[in-house]
Amino acid sequence: MSIPFTHRHILEDRMSGYEPSPNANHLTVLRRPVIFSALAHAGHEASVAEALSLVENIVVRSVSPSDWLLVSQNAEAGAIAASLGAVPGLSFAEQSDGQVLMAVSGPDVRKILAKCVAVDLHADAFAEGESAPMMICRVAGNLARTGTDTFEILVPRSYAGYVFDELREAGREYAMTRGFGE
Amino acid sequence: MTSSRIANVGLVDHSRVVKFSFDGRTYKGFEGDTLASALLANDQMLMGRSFKYHRPRGPVTAGPSEPNALVTIGKDARTEPNTRATVAELYSGLVARSQNAWPSLNFDIGSINGALSPMLGAGFYYKTFMWPAAFWEKVYEPVIRRAAGLGKAVMEADPDRYEKSWAHCDLLVVGSGPAGLMAALTAGRAGLRVILAEQDFRLGGSLLSETAMIGGVSAPDFAAATIAELADMPNVTIMPRTTVFGWYDDMVFGAVEKVQKHLAVPSADKPVERLWRIAAGRAILASGAEERPLVFGGNDRPGIMTADATRTYLNRYGVATGRKVAVFTNGGSGYRTAADLSARGVNIAAIIDSRAASADFAPYGVRVIRSGSIVDTKGGKRLSGIMTNRFGYDEMIDCDALAMSGGWSPIVHLMCQRGARPVWSDEAQAFLVPDVGPLFAAAGSAAGHATVSECLRDGAVKAHAAVEAVGRLVGHVNTPEVEGEYDPSFAPLWYVPGARSKAFVDFQNDVHVDDLALATREGFGHVEHAKRYTTSGMATDQGKLGNVNAVALLAGMRGVSPAEVGTTTYRPFYTPVSFGALAGTARAEQSRPIRTSPLHGWAKKNGATFLESGLWYRSAYFVQGEEKTWRESVDREVLNVRQNAGLCDVSTLGKIEIFGRDAAEFLNRVYSNAFLKLPVGKARYGLMLREDGIVFDDGTTSRLSENHYVLTTTTAYAAEVMAHLEFASQTFWPDLDVCFVSTSDQWAQMSLAGPKSRAILQKLVEDDLSDASFPFLAAREVQLKGGLIARLFRISFSGELAYELAVPAGYGEAVADAIMEAGRGEGICAYGVEALDVLRIEKGHVTHSELDGRTTADDVGLSKMMSKNKPDFIGKRLSTRYGLTAADRLQMVGLKPVELDKPLKAGAALLREGVEPSMTAGQGFVSSACFSPHVGQWIGLAMLKSGRERIGEKILVWDAVRSSEFLAEVCAPVFVDPENLNLHV
Repeated sequence: MSIPFTHRHILEDRMSGYEPSPNANHLTVLRRPVIFSALAHAGHEASVAEALSLVENIVVRSVSPSDWLLVSQNAEAGAIAASLGAVPGLSFAEQSDGQVLMAVSGPDVRKILAKCVAVDLHADAFAEGESAPMMICRVAGNLARTGTDTFEILVPRSYAGYVFDELREAGREYAMTRGFGE
Repeated sequence: MTSSRIANVGLVDHSRVVKFSFDGRTYKGFEGDTLASALLANDQMLMGRSFKYHRPRGPVTAGPSEPNALVTIGKDARTEPNTRATVAELYSGLVARSQNAWPSLNFDIGSINGALSPMLGAGFYYKTFMWPAAFWEKVYEPVIRRAAGLGKAVMEADPDRYEKSWAHCDLLVVGSGPAGLMAALTAGRAGLRVILAEQDFRLGGSLLSETAMIGGVSAPDFAAATIAELADMPNVTIMPRTTVFGWYDDMVFGAVEKVQKHLAVPSADKPVERLWRIAAGRAILASGAEERPLVFGGNDRPGIMTADATRTYLNRYGVATGRKVAVFTNGGSGYRTAADLSARGVNIAAIIDSRAASADFAPYGVRVIRSGSIVDTKGGKRLSGIMTNRFGYDEMIDCDALAMSGGWSPIVHLMCQRGARPVWSDEAQAFLVPDVGPLFAAAGSAAGHATVSECLRDGAVKAHAAVEAVGRLVGHVNTPEVEGEYDPSFAPLWYVPGARSKAFVDFQNDVHVDDLALATREGFGHVEHAKRYTTSGMATDQGKLGNVNAVALLAGMRGVSPAEVGTTTYRPFYTPVSFGALAGTARAEQSRPIRTSPLHGWAKKNGATFLESGLWYRSAYFVQGEEKTWRESVDREVLNVRQNAGLCDVSTLGKIEIFGRDAAEFLNRVYSNAFLKLPVGKARYGLMLREDGIVFDDGTTSRLSENHYVLTTTTAYAAEVMAHLEFASQTFWPDLDVCFVSTSDQWAQMSLAGPKSRAILQKLVEDDLSDASFPFLAAREVQLKGGLIARLFRISFSGELAYELAVPAGYGEAVADAIMEAGRGEGICAYGVEALDVLRIEKGHVTHSELDGRTTADDVGLSKMMSKNKPDFIGKRLSTRYGLTAADRLQMVGLKPVELDKPLKAGAALLREGVEPSMTAGQGFVSSACFSPHVGQWIGLAMLKSGRERIGEKILVWDAVRSSEFLAEVCAPVFVDPENLNLHV
């Protein structure tokens, strides 16, 4: 007996009836990104950070001076695990099912996110490529600026429905659409 | 008609008529009106009844400090009481009602309170309604509340949306009058990120009612041009309709924006109000100054308002407040208003000037009574005349409105909300802003300046300082020339002697001079006491108009300077803020984050009823078929688990991955039992203590590989345990090589329990699950059929053969479905946390009902978990202190009611048989209780004094809350399978 288990995204139920064509302001829920927690053991923080910057096909989100979330849209978990396993002083745990990745983009993205986070998202204060752990809609998550008008949010899976609902309300004023994306 | 609109005057749009209603009657106003200005244009001066004496009242201001003109706006669920008509933006279809009047505003029975006023002096509640004490809550208070009060909130749910948002800037400018505009312009041109917040729907502040020319154009035109330039700057954000109400730590300001309060039907896509938290590098308070009323006999009749309000209604709204207006002033402001009225063709009855001489010019032909005063007024719902007095000579002067000016007070509130007190100035005869450091400065009339040109200059100067402080270059900003300024000086006049009727100090709370005198006589002369005793300065306006007069009057009565009396405490909010705005989106289900288990969908389709557990919703029990009560469902689930098998969602348990060479040593120190030698592939139950020796949390920890463990916590303590581990690692033992990460959300975890669980699970798992190859406490990765890698733990909370299976969360529902399908032939059922609770009570396993922050390991029968061999672990030292080892401590025992039908309830007290029930005779309490279908009666776990020695004793279970009292037998806290045979099958 072989059982093909179906993978379900936690936000699947919330997507029914979503707008088919995205507006200028749009929330993309990334369906199956590969995500890892990476932890540097004491004394290895700098070398691990350096090594992580060299791993291919991942982006690094900072959580603490010795703690990162690694996100990949185009690599297999196994391949990333193999790369991470070769880094001295690094431990890691897969979080692909433990974190939900959402991208918010559009001309009003800062006004939308200002309702969700207390951090100043002006480009002078939070530049492209920066990421930081912060409360997002009252939930501890991680926010990254991936473009002038694009931000990515990581929140623990169990909170994702709540955060999604709050984001949807925040975006309503700006006709923000939402949908799954790759 | 006595008050009326003047054609083509003011900033309202005379071509755009707006229809609205007040007390059921339809009126017409113009776009740009407030409710108050539109009502005045329709000669509706009477707008409310006062709080205590139900006296007729009209507006006394034209702005946010209004104490009288409070109305209820909106209808049905959108009803908002206590709205100030003087700031309520008029819109088409606005429905307003008067308050505190019955049966009508014009004829209010409650006004008889005015005749009873000798009995209703300050403190009358305290003196009159003292006996009998029980009457206060049931009789006196409800009656008083009905008779005295403001508007009423409606009970319907608010249909509108509210939200909160953050804003960040280098400079926040509060107020858009001359000082605020110049400050924003100066900082904006220098490139600072500026937020300009204005409570009004129209920017410009006092410039909107100013007749002086600025830079060769009218003041409103100057304001409009400046605002247009600011609006074009990408670094400047203009926020109209936004009241900055509070100043908080770290230069965070609270503000509320009325986004859609000026629309009859708000858009569902926007909030009606938005609460802003503005994090500002620096801030400038340009909130202006408030004109003070004069305290004289009969000073509360409709038609009496401040000179500034009279002028604002005239110049901004094109409304003359009367046909024949008298002026009572102690300075130049009254003359300025008289000049503006006269220029618009309004008759001036007389100017009564309290000063003997001044350089102010009265309009041509207007009579000036110097060294004059007003001692009484007449009129019912509108002023009809004033009694003036000059050197003992009374004279009645007919008029239908009065403009009064008692000088000016800077609006200092925001700067005084964090402990700094305003500073009395004898020179300015006012309380001025305190020095609160360089980050927050006052500018313009808030800083004590009086003329337009001074305010313009001061706004620019204060902004210069802010620009230089952030290292930017100051651009050149010209301070424009101002023509037509007046002399703003005034002579103090706190109380007009010889009052023939009540001279009100606080209009909103009906506090008059005699009340303050009474308070002083009776020992409540301290300003904070006087406030509470007389209610002066309470309620929605918090004494914005009256407080300074009250302070000066108290000072006069006590023979000291106002500086010595001081002010009452300033607190947020500056003006009332709705609860809706404070809640934002956090209401109903969204009031706090919700955590959803990966098996939520599985539980739902199997008929789960959910219960809140922290932020989680956990499946409590699963109703099947004809089951009508929760007990039926739970009993069935419990029996089925012990007989066949059951599947339960345990995903909510905390899961922490631990890595490092010293992970074993670390665990050995945080747990009270031994962990050093836990082999790879094995799980162990562990107990953590607090430093004080009390049990902190329990759970299992499994060693997945040499330097990799996964630790589980209880659902409630997941975050606390993580913090505890981090703290221990970072501060106690930074030398140990260990690090952690929570993976609680990565895994869907399910407990499959019951004698048939192995057979069911084997259908899905490739690995051999026989007792030999996967024995009790085995813990390792397994492969599911189809290739999915899972974590399997053979651990049991129910006492039965049981497994916990963890799969990546996204697969949880599919795997749970497959287990239910595979177990169908074996009679599997879904079970919830209620059944889980019964199963563990039957086995005497503890939860935080027993581990309640007071119990030691020994108390709950886990003394074996306290390692004797380890040199140290957290809690070891203090666990040996006498108090924690005393023989008469409460110890966990089992309980069975002697009569089989008695329901045992958690929380009931335990007493010796035969004693008179009382809490002082308490011997312990029931910690957990349930109906056990196996035992066939209610059973419980209890904490009982020296309990283990008392097995077999009958004790009294006394439940005072539910009024029950019966005997129960103390027994060992294991009711099913005491030899643990079922675990090892």
